[in-house]
Amino acid sequence: MQIRMVGLLLIVLAIACTGCESPGVTEGDAPPMPATAVPVGPIPGNGVAPPLGSTDPYINNPVALEEGRKLFVWYNCYGCHGGHGGGGMGPSLRDQSWMYGSTDAQIFYSIAQGRGKGMPAWGTKIPEDQIWKLVAYIKSMRTPNEPDPPR
Amino acid sequence: MLRRIAEVGLAVLIAVVIGFWVWPRVDRTPAHASSAARNTQLAPGAAQPVFNFVSALPKGDWTEPAGDLANTRYSPLDQINAQNAKSLKPIAMFSDGIPHGQEGQPLVVNDTMYIVTPFPNNLIAIDLKNLTGPVKWVFHPHPNPVAQGKACCDTVNRGAAYGDGMIVYQLLDDHVVAVDAKTGKQVWRTETGNVYVGETATSAPLIVKDKVYVGNAGSELGVRGKLTCLDLKTGKILWVAYSQGPDSEVRIGPDFHPYYKKDQGANLGVKTWTNDMWKHGGGTIWGWISYDPELNMIYYGTGNPGVWDADMRPGDNKWSITIFARDADTGYARWAYQVEPHDNYDYDEIMENILIDMNWDGHPRKLLLHPSRNGFMLVMDRQTGELLSAKKFVDSTNWASGYDLKTGLPIKNPAKATHEGIVTQGICPSSTGAKEFVPSAVSPLTGYLYIPTHNTCMNYEGLHANYIAGTPFLGASVKMYPGPGGFQGALEAWDLKTQTPVWSVKDKTYPVYGGVLATAGNVVFYGTLEGWFRAVDARTGKILWQYKTPSGIIGDPMTFLGPDGKQYVAIYSGIGGWMGAVAFPDISMDDPYAALGVVGAMNGIKQASPPGNNIFIFGL
Repeated sequence: MQIRMVGLLLIVLAIACTGCESPGVTEGDAPPMPATAVPVGPIPGNGVAPPLGSTDPYINNPVALEEGRKLFVWYNCYGCHGGHGGGGMGPSLRDQSWMYGSTDAQIFYSIAQGRGKGMPAWGTKIPEDQIWKLVAYIKSMRTPNEPDPPR
Repeated sequence: MLRRIAEVGLAVLIAVVIGFWVWPRVDRTPAHASSAARNTQLAPGAAQPVFNFVSALPKGDWTEPAGDLANTRYSPLDQINAQNAKSLKPIAMFSDGIPHGQEGQPLVVNDTMYIVTPFPNNLIAIDLKNLTGPVKWVFHPHPNPVAQGKACCDTVNRGAAYGDGMIVYQLLDDHVVAVDAKTGKQVWRTETGNVYVGETATSAPLIVKDKVYVGNAGSELGVRGKLTCLDLKTGKILWVAYSQGPDSEVRIGPDFHPYYKKDQGANLGVKTWTNDMWKHGGGTIWGWISYDPELNMIYYGTGNPGVWDADMRPGDNKWSITIFARDADTGYARWAYQVEPHDNYDYDEIMENILIDMNWDGHPRKLLLHPSRNGFMLVMDRQTGELLSAKKFVDSTNWASGYDLKTGLPIKNPAKATHEGIVTQGICPSSTGAKEFVPSAVSPLTGYLYIPTHNTCMNYEGLHANYIAGTPFLGASVKMYPGPGGFQGALEAWDLKTQTPVWSVKDKTYPVYGGVLATAGNVVFYGTLEGWFRAVDARTGKILWQYKTPSGIIGDPMTFLGPDGKQYVAIYSGIGGWMGAVAFPDISMDDPYAALGVVGAMNGIKQASPPGNNIFIFGL
């Protein structure tokens, strides 16, 4: 039952993210989880903790961070979230407040699936590895690794 | 001696006659229903008025966003005057429960006050006969929540208009809604745009006779600006006039006669763009609309051209940053004047166009006053579109040295031009303007225009941008900061006769981001971003009284007669909007480029002005 649910969710995710798969995660890798372990927290969408293995492969990779910064401008993210992620039309990505969760996978899904107040669902537009580079750049903000920090 | 007595007697007689004529008649006729086209109203003993009014003034009620159709924001009420304003005190206060910017102004119709909130755009009716009781009703329109993430500059709304027993206003998700003023029930609702491509609606409608005029917003998301005219009774869309595209879509026909050569020609809304760039050309109409009953013409300005990176859109980019005069019935343009061809700075010219009749160079003329976002005070002939004067009203302005009145073109400063990949430093004013959308007021008693000004400058770098529908088509990296001189804003009194500043009340820390009201009591009202609401002597600029409201003021004061026949003044307190949104917790101060570059100009605002909306009603 639980396996079927997780499988169904993965199919839904795959549809939301056409042309991309979570790295290193296939349906067969999804661990069976007891129903009680499924959080019913504030995260909209699938409501399940992200599958194991979905950490960002590019975290602290300087080349990928630079790339992520470029993509942040290229895909107009800066127009809503601020020139360097400080917020505006959309919320700040530099602060410690995360409406939809702060793990790598949660940020990935916020980008891929979109959010109800106007965040577009980019899963069908941006390749998966670019989303992970964006996640890596976002997570580098306010750290010494942040490329092109605001000044 | 006898002659002296006769003089005094005559003066008293005149004063009594004028006073009798003027004394507040509790006449609740909506301004647009009145047949009085010219009713210059003088306080007893006042000198000749400097100008004549074009449309009926608000008396007891306040039924249009600016009070009247000509956008003077002048009230003939004079119970509150320069002598007694010091005794003003809060009479009532209501919270709307929303921590987003409260722009615009309430309406008062038949002893009821109507408040439109920011998203979710609720309409609240307050019984002025029962200020301590519960509100009469609240109308919840439930707009699409997606609109919150498409609005460039906070989820604001600039108010409603009253007509035919209905309160009419725009929802953030591009709907116009008409609500029965008595029952709070929806009469009609009409969709005017597509929120998913980034189109939103924040401006207040104007109602003239049987028509409603509304403009859209979203130039930062590459939408096409447009004015929509609806039938007041049914909400049916009668016509749409776009801000770019072929003449047929701009509603330009044989009656179109722009004054200047630069604005003449066929299909300029296409030809002054490269390729299909006009299809994302911005020029939205998110400010104020004016009406001249005698000429039967409406006037409004358009916003910035789509994509802030000027190098991506060679050409004049018509009809962005343009003042339009249109036939109020057919919508066909009579003239247009592009204030800044090929915008380099995001200088939307959606500012109020104030219509007055005044002597100019010894001849009576029908004038249009347009205090520009770009720092110049434009005086135009509203029949012909001729530019009569364009003097700087904020000293630091440096993008242009002035205007050539023969060609109608600004004399641009090439050192301040902006380009892709180059950071141009020290441009004044910033994109937020030498004044923002917040409206000025004008008084015939002093002949002064009262302008809420900014002294903010910026560094600007054009960035190549990709058009992705529903996301910002921005194309710039902007950083703003306070301008020179040790102040960042002022309430400025501008003499209409000499076209020079007379006095100003400077604000050291922040721009003046709230609108102005002038009254026959020679009192001018306005608010500051730190939440001070002030009564100022219209002649001298002396602060007569001030009251600290809990949040920053970005709304516009209005005045009305209560059920007891006494004059009251109302103002929203509730920070937000483009610059004010920096007070919100979800904008970080360590990124000066955040919120389209305004963070660097808003130091300390989080501490000075916590968010949260209230309306205050003051009286003697």
